[in-house]
Amino acid sequence: MEGPEPSEFAKERHAAFAEMMLHELPRDYASQEINRVTLAYFAVSSLSLLRSLHRVDKDQIATWVLSFQAKPKETHNVDDGKFFGFCGSRSCQFSEGPGQSVSNLASTYSALAILKVIGYDFQNFDSSIILESMRSLQMPDGSFMPIDSGAETDLRFVYCAAAISSILNDWSGMDREKAKDYIIKCQSYDGGFGLIPGSESHGGATYCAVAALFLMGFIQNDYNNSLSLPTSTIDIPSLVEWCIQRQGADGGFQGRANKDSDTCYAFWVGSVLKMLGLYHLVNKSALRTFLFTCQSPYGGFTKFPYEVLPDLYHSYYGFAALSLLEEKELGNLSVELGLAALN
Amino acid sequence: MDYFRAVYVARELSPRALRLTTEALLRNPGNYTIWHFRRLVIDALDSDLVEETLFVDNLAEANSKNYQIWHHKRWLAEKLGPEAANDDHDFTRFILCHDAKNYHAWSHRQWVLQKLGGWDKELDFCHQLLEEDIFNNSAWNQRFFVITRSPLLGGLSAMWDSEVDYTIKAILQNPSNESPWRYLQGLYKGNPDSLITDERIPQLLLNILKENSYCVFAWNFLLDVLCKGLRPNKEIEEAVKGFTELDDAGSSDQDLPTRICSALERMDPIRVNYWAWRKSNLTL
Repeated sequence: MEGPEPSEFAKERHAAFAEMMLHELPRDYASQEINRVTLAYFAVSSLSLLRSLHRVDKDQIATWVLSFQAKPKETHNVDDGKFFGFCGSRSCQFSEGPGQSVSNLASTYSALAILKVIGYDFQNFDSSIILESMRSLQMPDGSFMPIDSGAETDLRFVYCAAAISSILNDWSGMDREKAKDYIIKCQSYDGGFGLIPGSESHGGATYCAVAALFLMGFIQNDYNNSLSLPTSTIDIPSLVEWCIQRQGADGGFQGRANKDSDTCYAFWVGSVLKMLGLYHLVNKSALRTFLFTCQSPYGGFTKFPYEVLPDLYHSYYGFAALSLLEEKELGNLSVELGLAALN
Repeated sequence: MDYFRAVYVARELSPRALRLTTEALLRNPGNYTIWHFRRLVIDALDSDLVEETLFVDNLAEANSKNYQIWHHKRWLAEKLGPEAANDDHDFTRFILCHDAKNYHAWSHRQWVLQKLGGWDKELDFCHQLLEEDIFNNSAWNQRFFVITRSPLLGGLSAMWDSEVDYTIKAILQNPSNESPWRYLQGLYKGNPDSLITDERIPQLLLNILKENSYCVFAWNFLLDVLCKGLRPNKEIEEAVKGFTELDDAGSSDQDLPTRICSALERMDPIRVNYWAWRKSNLTL
């Protein structure tokens, strides 16, 4: 390879990239339009981590986000099983009137995350319909569907439900015990978690499992002192070893055993260790070196080293991973909520 | 999209609406609302489900990481019933030929097995994938899934002995492959006593460490079984002491686990903090 990687965090370039993404997404993102609100969340939270939120109009963002909220008709019956959260895009809003939007759990999390990042005052926000209707999305086995009309259920949406409840500071929208039971079933023979019981251990799924348990109050961040703590909930020693084993010789983190290191897992897997109070076990200098090989000359981060074109998802998790490493140009992260803390 | 909005709001469940959803989905296969509406139309028109399978399989080939498409396949499979299980397995096999670790394909395959069957050839399928790539962790995971859940095999206890042999063979083939080590650990999880009494374990570890004294996974596994109560035989003791004699002063009276942790700190520098932490927890 030619020479050392530039190991300076190119903050201005990253902020410009994030700001550009917020204003206008390139054509390549068209297939992700359905998740526009999620993309906005990546951009806004990035700007906050980059201490650059002053570049955007927060009121305008709040108004835009709130316009995606699905509202029921006046005659709405809460037992009909419909979910009223936030939509991810205009293509799920079918007319101006109430009762004509199809919202989903992931967009609801993203929308509330944006509002939280920009410091929106939730005092006057009526969360009751979101939480009441969210109950219909929880299955008897404790998992969650993302939408009321039927879809796959897996750990991602258990996490979304927990994060939504945490942001709104109200747990009436989900049965935490049942959710915990489902999460426990997702732990694989090797200590990591799969998205559904029986699935292969995966960094993203493991984050969803542990963060949800953390948010719900079932695990705490004090495992530093001993491996021999009672494992009443999940097998923590195996989980820790699984996470630690994801860091490769190149310093980066992989999402599954025997796969390549990828920028985003530095956040997904690193966060799990952070939540357990064990982030100090990570080889930080090796990780930092890896992440800088993924820093794009155009601003943002790439998925793999030495690629050129960044994408918003890997950029956001690249910033988040560097925040975990306490990179000085970056603000703090709320690890369990996956968003920038108020900076 | 506007034409779609019109039929959606009007709840028009007609052949025209079906064609519109086809057009809309070709452009935007991620839109779950369009998929949902398409299902309503298919039900209302009692459309040909085999034709529908062809449509969605084509889309899935081009968009093999799209959740909505896989969900639609699941919906179809449920409607078509157990007779369709083999066709469905053929399809996921095809996807996995091109991308042997496609998470969606594996989830779908597991769902079809549990809901509609087709278990009889699954262990062979795992074996075939492992022959092609012994490092394929997805195939190892699927193997665990099959031996623990297949109604045809008798469960983990019935399969355990032969699986241990199978895994040991895979480890010997390539001791630096993480997957079979984790699999082996997994096999003993329900049976921790046998982990410290099964002679195959110390035998395996000694075999590997003789040829490759820097095999981190072998040292790691030895550390774990010692911590779980394995009484080391003379050979194990000598192997550890022989290797760690080259260590810093002060190691001569240390117990085996401590010596191994120190050795791992040197051998596996990425995880140096972890091994130091493990060492500090040994007395607890």
